Amino acid sequence: MAFTEINSKMIQATVMPGQRLYSQRGAMLAYKGEVSFTPNIQGGQGGVMSMLGRRVANEATPLMSVEGSGTVMFGHGGHHIQIIELTGDTLYVEADRLLAFEGTLQQGTMFMGSQGGVMGMVRGQVTGQGLFTTTLQGRGAVAVMAHGGVFEIPITPGRPVHVDPQAYVAHHGDVRNKLSAALGWRDMVGRGSGEAFQLELSGSGAVFVQASEEKL
Amino acid sequence: MTTYPGAGGPTVYDPMTLPVDDNVNKYTFCVELKGSQWFLQKGKMIAYYGSMEFNGVGHGRLDRLVRTSFHSPLHASDWVVAEGSGKMLLADRAFDVNSYDLEDGNLTIRSGNLLAFQPSLALKQSIVPGFLTLIGTGKFVAASNGPVVFMEPPIRVDPQALVGWADCPSPCHHYDHGYMTGLLGGLRAMTGIGGASGEEHQFEFVGAGTVLLQSSETLMAEQATGVVPHEPGVPGGGGVPTGPSQQAGAPRLPGQLGDLQRRFGL
Repeated sequence: MAFTEINSKMIQATVMPGQRLYSQRGAMLAYKGEVSFTPNIQGGQGGVMSMLGRRVANEATPLMSVEGSGTVMFGHGGHHIQIIELTGDTLYVEADRLLAFEGTLQQGTMFMGSQGGVMGMVRGQVTGQGLFTTTLQGRGAVAVMAHGGVFEIPITPGRPVHVDPQAYVAHHGDVRNKLSAALGWRDMVGRGSGEAFQLELSGSGAVFVQASEEKL
Repeated sequence: MTTYPGAGGPTVYDPMTLPVDDNVNKYTFCVELKGSQWFLQKGKMIAYYGSMEFNGVGHGRLDRLVRTSFHSPLHASDWVVAEGSGKMLLADRAFDVNSYDLEDGNLTIRSGNLLAFQPSLALKQSIVPGFLTLIGTGKFVAASNGPVVFMEPPIRVDPQALVGWADCPSPCHHYDHGYMTGLLGGLRAMTGIGGASGEEHQFEFVGAGTVLLQSSETLMAEQATGVVPHEPGVPGGGGVPTGPSQQAGAPRLPGQLGDLQRRFGL
């Protein structure tokens, strides 16, 4: 395992020769050993087309690749950090929430409209994800940032989970999500509960929720 | 992590149950005074029990204290002496607060992070601008953005994540720009395509000691450490005659190796 938690806001990553890590630029706090940090033009993996895709999708967070041998401490902006281990499934997360991830993971961009058409795009607007989101697939560890602590809610078939769109961090597994609107006349006259939109996740997998409704 | 008492709701403290010279929670520290004195930065006391007096340093009868504990009287006005008996709570804008014990040791800390200290410690300006050094035996309280992590050298630290160091005599700058060399690197440096990694500059520590890191790159507001004498040879003193090698010029981009003239040896 490449990442270990030092405390709730700081992780330690082990870098070995031949293994590459990607991390957000400027998120390194300290390191031991001989480690080099190279700004990544392409903002991650893949060729030029992947880079263009990310640029167009506005999912191009400046990344750097970390190589060498030693240990590196990461942390950013005092945000809480959650380490997510992926074992072959796909993690859906916003690019600017990514603190670091292992180079063994396949990075991609997904169009929100491909999950539920127009409603998917509306959902992206409400959750602040925009029209696109980043996917990471394969085996490896990802460190994700969140405001406040993060907890994981398992999603099992037949038991959908409802999440406040602003508190949604990431999800993985075979999960369908849709935006459920509970708009009523109260919302129209400004007497709503403030919880008119919820993200409904169903299928099997897990969703990560932050203990705050503040965006990063 | 925090443990929540089951049905009891929030813990209610009274003067007897407040901890003695320990943390009440992550963000508050309690100091017990029994006729003794503590130094604290102005405005960091949030509550107290008992009878206490808070006096600005350097007025009349506290003059002697300044001589023994502040060896740079210029910034003593930022500090307050708490005297009396009772319990006092210290906090700073919900930053994490921790106490540290020094035993006949020395510790250098970023000036904004130090909240309070026992008068048995001597506070001095560090040669490194913006840092203060505590020498002696005693307890001090420091704030940090996120929990503090202790690391052993050799280590390289992001300048913004550094809180302080103890017993390390060698804080120095370290520049990484390996990716700026070679043909592609040269192109990168010339055109600026690809940007900088933001990690070209670190502080390097070697030797025996401890380095204190905070878990975030958000700095705390700096406190004035006082003015250093305006003489040649004093870092930050402004008295150094600037030679041709120290020309300020335009502010350099991170990762840029140097001016063209210098690179070609002109």
